Amino acid sequence: MENYRASVMLCGGTGCMAGDSLKIKDAFTDELNKRGLSHEINVVITGCNGFCAQGPVMTVYPDDIFYEKVKVADVPLIIEEHFIKGRPVEKLMYKELAKKSAIPLMKDIPFFSLQVLRALRNKGLIDPEKIEEYIARDGYMAAAKALNEMTPEQVIDEMKRSGLRGRGGAGFPTGLKWELSAKVKGGEKFIICNGDEGDPGAFMDRSIMEGDPHVVLEGMLIGARAIGASKGYIYVRAEYPLAVQRLQIAIDQAKEFGLLGDNILGSGFNFDIEIYQGAGAFVCGEATALMRSIEGKRGMPRPKFWRSAVKGLWDKPTVLNNVETFANIPQIILNGASWYTSLGTEKSTGTKVFALSGAINNIGLIEVPMGIPLSKIIYDIGGGVPKGRKFKAVQLGGPSGGCIPESLIDTPVTFEDIVKTGAIIGSGGMVVMNDLNCMVSVSKFFLEFTTEESCGKCPPCRIGNTVLQDLLEKITKGEGEEGDIELIEDISHEIIKTSLCGLGQTSPNPVLTSIRYFRSEFEEHAGDKWCRTGVCKDLCTFYIEEEKCKACGACKRVCPQKAIIGEKKVPHRIDQSLCVQCRSCYTVCKFDSVKIGPRAMRDQLLEQWVSDSGKTVAMAGKEE
Amino acid sequence: MDGNILVVDDEKIVLKSCEKVLAPEGYKVSTVASGREALDLLDKNRYDLIITDIKMPEMDGIEFIRQARKKNTDINIIVITGYPSQESIREALSLRIVDYLPKPFSPTILLDVVTRAMEMKKIGVAPQPDVEDYTEEIASKLDAIIKKSRNKLGSLIPVLQEAQELVGYLPPVVLRHISRGLRIPLSEVHGVVSFYSYFTMKPRGKHNIRICLGTACYVKGAEEIVKKLTENLHIDVGSVTEDKKFSLESVRCLGACGLAPVVVIGKDTHGSVNPVDTMDLLTNYQ
Repeated sequence: MENYRASVMLCGGTGCMAGDSLKIKDAFTDELNKRGLSHEINVVITGCNGFCAQGPVMTVYPDDIFYEKVKVADVPLIIEEHFIKGRPVEKLMYKELAKKSAIPLMKDIPFFSLQVLRALRNKGLIDPEKIEEYIARDGYMAAAKALNEMTPEQVIDEMKRSGLRGRGGAGFPTGLKWELSAKVKGGEKFIICNGDEGDPGAFMDRSIMEGDPHVVLEGMLIGARAIGASKGYIYVRAEYPLAVQRLQIAIDQAKEFGLLGDNILGSGFNFDIEIYQGAGAFVCGEATALMRSIEGKRGMPRPKFWRSAVKGLWDKPTVLNNVETFANIPQIILNGASWYTSLGTEKSTGTKVFALSGAINNIGLIEVPMGIPLSKIIYDIGGGVPKGRKFKAVQLGGPSGGCIPESLIDTPVTFEDIVKTGAIIGSGGMVVMNDLNCMVSVSKFFLEFTTEESCGKCPPCRIGNTVLQDLLEKITKGEGEEGDIELIEDISHEIIKTSLCGLGQTSPNPVLTSIRYFRSEFEEHAGDKWCRTGVCKDLCTFYIEEEKCKACGACKRVCPQKAIIGEKKVPHRIDQSLCVQCRSCYTVCKFDSVKIGPRAMRDQLLEQWVSDSGKTVAMAGKEE
Repeated sequence: MDGNILVVDDEKIVLKSCEKVLAPEGYKVSTVASGREALDLLDKNRYDLIITDIKMPEMDGIEFIRQARKKNTDINIIVITGYPSQESIREALSLRIVDYLPKPFSPTILLDVVTRAMEMKKIGVAPQPDVEDYTEEIASKLDAIIKKSRNKLGSLIPVLQEAQELVGYLPPVVLRHISRGLRIPLSEVHGVVSFYSYFTMKPRGKHNIRICLGTACYVKGAEEIVKKLTENLHIDVGSVTEDKKFSLESVRCLGACGLAPVVVIGKDTHGSVNPVDTMDLLTNYQ
């Protein structure tokens, strides 16, 4: 092995790859060769670094210098300045939002410094396609310990004491699940890794599978040993081609190293893993549906007369855990349960990975101790809401979760506390919404999702959600009536009570929590025919408050319809006959002079316009 | 009623009477006395329906149907037979005929059978595999895929995935092939294909455009992008442009939320797409 004086860790997650990080690597290799530095500086493509919004990102070790938004053209500059002259390139460093000053070291950037990495401990540090690098970071040590020094009972006991709960959403204690299955005597058993990460806005599992595939294999190996399974499946979404590719490389390497296959590490234990690609059905994230899918059938959930731990895949005892759950296991075995419980709360131990996205400055992947308040995640790690807009809500748990409003922003992130708000922790997607997001539309968006993804087996879910969606459609179209909101609530409760699987039982959560915290917004839509955010085009009128208007012309420049009339120093006006409610003027105005009124206002303003100008008017682009 | 019908029979009287019954109903009827002549005509003209005798000198009806199928797989065929033996009917059925006429037949029966066959064509009940995409080479590759996993439990979905990779989509002819190969009922194969959104029975364009509709993309304007694309390409989500250059699909979260909104064209991911500039993305894909 060469001894390099510096290593460039270039992020190769899906986000940064789309930003051409592979081309950047080639540029580095070429440039280093040209300058005869290729034996001094090592360039590595790593898994997802987590700071996706700033991509493509890279870190230089041992200096720990973090560069963001790197382009191919920046490569010669980095080499010249940083590696030859020893002067890190300031213009590529992370800038603190408020002060605009550059922060050179990764460990000083709040996004990184406030995190505690356990499941993601290898992120950005190893080449996911090299097993040696994983092993160098204590990889497979836990597997060796579990196989050769511990009995399966001891492994299960350790897991139970660690309090680790399933990271896929339901939060079922992992140790307990394993124990159930281990108790079934004899016969073939299976262990499945659920990588069918379907929640929109969630990408934790993708990052782990892409960035540290061996940790998933090792976690599965330990689980297999504990329950006595000889075969494992990793069920990955077909939308994650890079994850599939890297997992396959990892499996091949593990086999080559004798870490999978027969007589692993001389323990006499045999275990093999196969990748199974999903075919795009959200419901397959549900355990029994996922198993049907591996069997080659339509992925429909079955009633749980018995647990899958007893009768699962092909009616054999099967343990199914989520990717992140498996990623936690090796460290628990290696460091012990008490190390794990040192973080988190009594009932929600350890850490949890979240995918921060939406209207937030620092979009990306984070790992935080359980029990941290939401506000800390959003403001300290996430850097708050960009462009000076107002925080409105944070959506947790995807189509099964809900929107938590500002008043509850200090809720600690634990399984129990989040459930009290009406949302769920879910798999860890956290989508931040600002004051430009309409809660009725967001509820509709999630219902469209569940309606489409309902497998159709149970009428409450199949028909009930369609009816809910129709009702919301009606309200956002301006045809809402009195009693609609109450009807939505009624139907929702029936769906929750009578659905078979988790998808149906949780599908009304988004709309229910939104009504709970933003009822006035629903009432404005249904009653006043008013969407205060201007998202529902049929329910709003854009107008300019003349006293506030500074006549800067910003709105006039962005209006695609040329509907804004006004000269310099003369307050502007919107020609209602031309306005198509695109919201461009509203978002661009710095003086808060563009306002959104209810639908009825448009007709009044139009009439006034006609009488003022004597102009005849034809409505633009609107079919009434 | 309109439509082009080709009648093939070595007996002049049958040809004449068919013409006499069908022409007044508005059909354009061509008549030929042998399979060979009929095949020539198939090269030249487009027909909606073939009515053919089974027992003919030189080339018999079965052979003719077989050859006609090679030229046009989705044409509806009715057979006329004087001796409806089980074997000949079964053979004809295996070539996917839509109906048969036992000799002698009355004008009413002829009209009834023809009308029904033409209706079928209209509502598209008849199988319509796209022959261009399903060559013999592809069929043999498909055989190899099937053979590899024939006796493996749960092999249907991986086989379908590979088949779709190979053909580009899953037309009925491919599903039938897989159903026979894996010994799984066609209904079950179709059930699986229609259940999973990854599978498509419609051809995709040269460049497949996938728009992410995950939450992060949604709150950042993915819907505007969909609107721009459907308006400018004049197609709906889930269909393909007339020149088969672009097809449009929506996907449920690609897990690249840092880049929201995301559009994937072919295998290239485009992040932070500004809805206003959506169409500029397509200029590099011709």
